[in-house]
Amino acid sequence: MSEMQAVTGVVNLSAGDPALAGEIRELGGAELLECIQCAKCAAACPMVLAGFSFFNKKVIHAILLGLREELLDDSSIWACQSCNRCTEVCPREVNPFEVVQAMRRVAIREFALPTLSVEGLKSLYDTGHAVYLAGAGNTRAKVGLPEKPPSTVASKKALQELQTIIRNSALADLGIIPMGETGVSETCEV
Amino acid sequence: MKIGFFVGCNTAFNRPDLEQAVRYALPALGVELDNLDGQSCCPSWGTLPSVDVAGWCAVGARNLALAEEKGLDIVTVCGSCYGSLAEAKYKLDHDPELKTRVNELLRNIGREYKGTSQVRLAHYYLDHELGPDRIREALKYKLDGFTIALQPGCHSLWPSKVYFDKEEDTFHPRVLKEMCEALGATVGYYTRLLDCCGMGAMRSADMEKSFHLVEKKLVSMKEEVNPDLLVTGCSSCLLQFDTAQKFLQKDKKIKFEIPVLHYMQLLALCLGADPEQVAGLAETNVRSFIDRVRKE
Amino acid sequence: MPRIGVYICHCGENIAGAVNVEEVRKYAEQLPEVAIARDYLFMCSDPGQELIKQDIRAGLVDRVVVAACTPRTHEPIFREAVAEAGLNKYLFEMANIRDQDSWAHWHDKEGATAKAKKLVASAVAKAAFLEPLEDRFVEVTPAALVVGGGVAGMFAALDLAGMGYQVYLVEKNPSIGGNMAKLDKTFPTNDCSACILTPVMVRVGTHPKIKLLTYSEVESVEGSFGNFKVKVRRKQTYIDWDKCTGCGDCVNACPARIPNEFNEGMDNRRAVYIEFPQAVPKKAVVDLEHCLNCGKRTIGTAPRIHSKTGKPILAPCERACKTGACDRSKAYDPEGEIIELAVGTIIVTTGYRVMDKAPFKEYSPQSPNVVTAMQLERILSATGPTAGHFERPSDKEKPKTIAFVSCVGSRDKRHHTYCSKVCCMYMLKEARLIKEKYPETDIYIFFIDVRTAGKDFEEYYNYCRNLGIKMLRGRVGGVDELPGDRLRVRAYDVDLGAPVELEADLVVLATAIEPAPGLAELGRKLGITCGSEGFLKEMHTKLYPVETPVRGVYIAGCAQGPKDIPEAVSQARAASSAAAVPLTFGKIVVEPLISEVNQRKCSGCGTCEKLCPYSAIKLVEDKGRLRSHIDEALCAGCGVCAAACPSGAITLHGFTNAQISAQIKALAS
Ligand SMILES: Cc1cc2nc3c(=O)[nH]c(=O)nc-3n(C[C@H](O)[C@H](O)[C@H](O)COP(=O)(O)OP(=O)(O)OC[C@H]3O[C@@H](n4cnc5c(N)ncnc54)[C@H](O)[C@@H]3O)c2cc1C
Ligand code: SF4
Ligand code: SF4
Ligand code: SF4
Ligand code: SF4
Repeated sequence: MSEMQAVTGVVNLSAGDPALAGEIRELGGAELLECIQCAKCAAACPMVLAGFSFFNKKVIHAILLGLREELLDDSSIWACQSCNRCTEVCPREVNPFEVVQAMRRVAIREFALPTLSVEGLKSLYDTGHAVYLAGAGNTRAKVGLPEKPPSTVASKKALQELQTIIRNSALADLGIIPMGETGVSETCEV
Repeated sequence: MKIGFFVGCNTAFNRPDLEQAVRYALPALGVELDNLDGQSCCPSWGTLPSVDVAGWCAVGARNLALAEEKGLDIVTVCGSCYGSLAEAKYKLDHDPELKTRVNELLRNIGREYKGTSQVRLAHYYLDHELGPDRIREALKYKLDGFTIALQPGCHSLWPSKVYFDKEEDTFHPRVLKEMCEALGATVGYYTRLLDCCGMGAMRSADMEKSFHLVEKKLVSMKEEVNPDLLVTGCSSCLLQFDTAQKFLQKDKKIKFEIPVLHYMQLLALCLGADPEQVAGLAETNVRSFIDRVRKE
Repeated sequence: MPRIGVYICHCGENIAGAVNVEEVRKYAEQLPEVAIARDYLFMCSDPGQELIKQDIRAGLVDRVVVAACTPRTHEPIFREAVAEAGLNKYLFEMANIRDQDSWAHWHDKEGATAKAKKLVASAVAKAAFLEPLEDRFVEVTPAALVVGGGVAGMFAALDLAGMGYQVYLVEKNPSIGGNMAKLDKTFPTNDCSACILTPVMVRVGTHPKIKLLTYSEVESVEGSFGNFKVKVRRKQTYIDWDKCTGCGDCVNACPARIPNEFNEGMDNRRAVYIEFPQAVPKKAVVDLEHCLNCGKRTIGTAPRIHSKTGKPILAPCERACKTGACDRSKAYDPEGEIIELAVGTIIVTTGYRVMDKAPFKEYSPQSPNVVTAMQLERILSATGPTAGHFERPSDKEKPKTIAFVSCVGSRDKRHHTYCSKVCCMYMLKEARLIKEKYPETDIYIFFIDVRTAGKDFEEYYNYCRNLGIKMLRGRVGGVDELPGDRLRVRAYDVDLGAPVELEADLVVLATAIEPAPGLAELGRKLGITCGSEGFLKEMHTKLYPVETPVRGVYIAGCAQGPKDIPEAVSQARAASSAAAVPLTFGKIVVEPLISEVNQRKCSGCGTCEKLCPYSAIKLVEDKGRLRSHIDEALCAGCGVCAAACPSGAITLHGFTNAQISAQIKALAS
């Protein structure tokens, strides 16, 4: 159970950030305040079963207390499966998944994101696919398919469309990945 | 009948045999596929959805617009794509302000999201549009005498409010079971049926913890069903179950192997597809299962 | 010229916190016809009222305006003060500068002060046109109606009957008793529910002043406070109750099987049935919808004659009945019978129903071993489907491990957002009853918060914990069906900080208490409303908890909201005493704030007659011409007629055209 201990030592509630809850609500966790901490979402959450230290219920509680540092120091939120079990069972329509997702959005704005996510974003921008294997052409051929799927990797125009969207989205302001007009080249496996 | 096939990343690059299975099975059942040329990533959860809602929905909306322009629904075999697209669509259809913002982003590329196409998951689509009986009639090989365990996949069920095809009871799903029974198989129930397989963000974040989940599921189905085959409704689950078993064996966590196929692969095989093309990339021993089916 | 006194209340900080009272007072002072303007910390206090009285007695003022809180609670108090000082009490006007001003604009002090001035000016403008009015009195019918024969309704009826009033008790089921009759033992003292309830039921059934109308429902309500005319429909029982002795012979003979509502669907009853063994009245009814019409003979037709014996071929129920109460050849009216009652006051005690388990799919309701807490009450009860044997439904085995799940459908935005209030205690009670009898049973209660506020309740809770009942904080996330009819309960134990799983033989869902079906409809008939959560709304939560906005109609028990028996009974007895006041006084004051027709101006067009929602207006012939006539007893003073009359012939006293125009002018200036 010791690995469940996300927060060690004394939590200084006085240092809590009262603005955090508002930020979360702005970034998609609109129903945050409806949570009564009943723990039904936690009972359903795969992150809990796998032993991650922060998960839906606890993330919400920590947000309400404004524990920004504690949340940012822990990478559990990046293990959320987006499975939405919690959304399905939450009796208060909190959409806990959206809150976890909003916490990721807060973290990203503070550059607290795992390398793999950076790579995923980069690959998405460069190829149109978060997961892209440059060598996949051979395997595709082996099972009788064209080397490229009919996606952005096969159409420069389509990729440009996608890049235009991304360059005009919030990601562009954050400066997490370079946004040139590159073509499809690198391998990125997530 | 015609539908836009949304391939997604994992299917296109990791398991193209699954892509080939779709391209075989659906036309064989009279469903014409459109390529939705220029499609991109759905986008997957760890990318734009983790940055902001509008960016996520804009990329999703572009993919949806490709289908809308052709008057088609979208079909996918990946739970993540299904979830990401369906949730984006749900948000767009319920939040006019978001829809306006997203359409502003799409205007730059000369497209518009209207909301006219539905997002479908392959086996739900087949159940809804053709039904088990039409499938039964088209089979070349039947699975009589074989026992199957299921992995429906989280995204095929939850959050139920965003999906077009619905289970009557999302905590006791029936569709994948009935679709497998249509192939002649016996479907066994195991008590951890609905648990998460651990694929996806969790596997990226912490492989060991992720394998902990898949192990628990495997043990439960082995003990309670002892199946000839595990059938998934999601390409991510397929990857997890197909690749994790050898790690678990190496670590002496399990002493068995259960061959794994996506439902669309199994369907394609039963319709007479070439095993090398539609199931040739499996790491688990699906070959011997297929041989047994074809021998019977 | 009128001399108006203006009195502005600080209401402690409630008003003064947002409104600059002194500024408003200065403003009021210079308004036309204002003789005096004063302010005080609490105008409704004795010294506050004394200020007004002194000014009246000293002849300084002859009209009074109080700018304070809400007239709903305080108008009667100030009117009384004005009258005591010798002024007609209708020469009084109130400006609500608290609810409608200071509270609403708490953070805008300037705006609140400006608005207070307007509200005061408007009240002053109206006051100048006030005229003295006289109260009227109406005789009261010395009888009461109680709707709903649960424990609350029974005590309300007994109290009123004990005071000597005629009481009609209407109950929709065949027997009185309500939900309490289904309970095994009752917290906090664990006395047997049937043992304490049955004597009460018998007293109700035999009381000379109580007329029991069971298997009946309220059809319509007319009239008003003091003189209600109520139509009650007695549903058709298809059994002659005058002859039925409740022997149950017909019941035993009946071949039909229908899920038994009294045992929460866990066993079957017959088509002809007596609701439960202690039923009062103990009479049979035929549930025609499920009757098999034995021998292909519908009710109300003569039996076929046996070709050999020449005797009529009777249905099993008829054949069994020794008294002739069950006679299927009789032509019963399927609509039943309408009974008209005249009563002075009405108490509504229609109680609650518990939610079914079916909507909670994540808890595997399809398993027979997932039961509601009410079902468990029946399993534990000696008169239940297992005759008191503690068995789980699937295989009649005694459960070894039991899990209770709290707040099922309560505190839940998808079902009911409120807390059902009694489930924490009844879960503890049921767990304790089992644990005391079968100490080897493992019992786990999964809760969100343990809510055991109430006399002796915390002690009860601690006692249960000492018995070894395990308490876990964390709403259950799911229940899986396991082989062998067992169940796996999944939760997150907040205190351990870990996910937990429990294999149980029986899972008990504490499903929410919800309003009795048809409550809103009954409310509409009575003119009373339900809150957003569906229970009947009281007039004032704290001060008028059993009154409703409709005078003469009172509420008690779970019809008003979830509560336990002690609270339901206390409330019932409070309601009966409130309902007895007008019956005892014998007459009621009717405010003269009603409409009056100026016969000379009326053209007899009949516009008003059609519009009046209280049917108080009739066109009457007077010297060969039709003239509108308003029944004072029925007019509620809504003013619809006065506003609509094209000839301006109708005056609504207390809200005359002159008064309202003056008010509007003052507000607009
Ligand atoms: C599982 C469970 C266990 C409980 N255990 C305890 C306990 O141990 N101790 C305790 O103090 N409390 C307990 N309670 C609470 C207790 O049941 C209630 O406090 C009590 O029954 C309320 O009485 P009532 O008269 O207000 O309502 P009810 O008992 O519901 O009676 C209402 C009556 O009105 C009738 N009615 C409804 N609508 C109409 C209509 N339109 N016209 C005519 N009649 C109508 C109904 O048929 C019923 O007879 C328990 C509750 C539950 C659910
Ligand atoms: S998010 Fe919902 S399920 Fe989770 S603790 Fe809060 S109220 Fe309960
Ligand atoms: S969506 Fe994320 S937080 Fe919610 S149950 Fe799934 S893994 Fe847990
Ligand atoms: S006719 Fe009498 S015995 Fe036959 S089903 Fe009806 S009530 Fe029962
Ligand atoms: S009384 Fe207890 S169990 Fe019932 S709703 Fe309230 S908190 Fe939940």
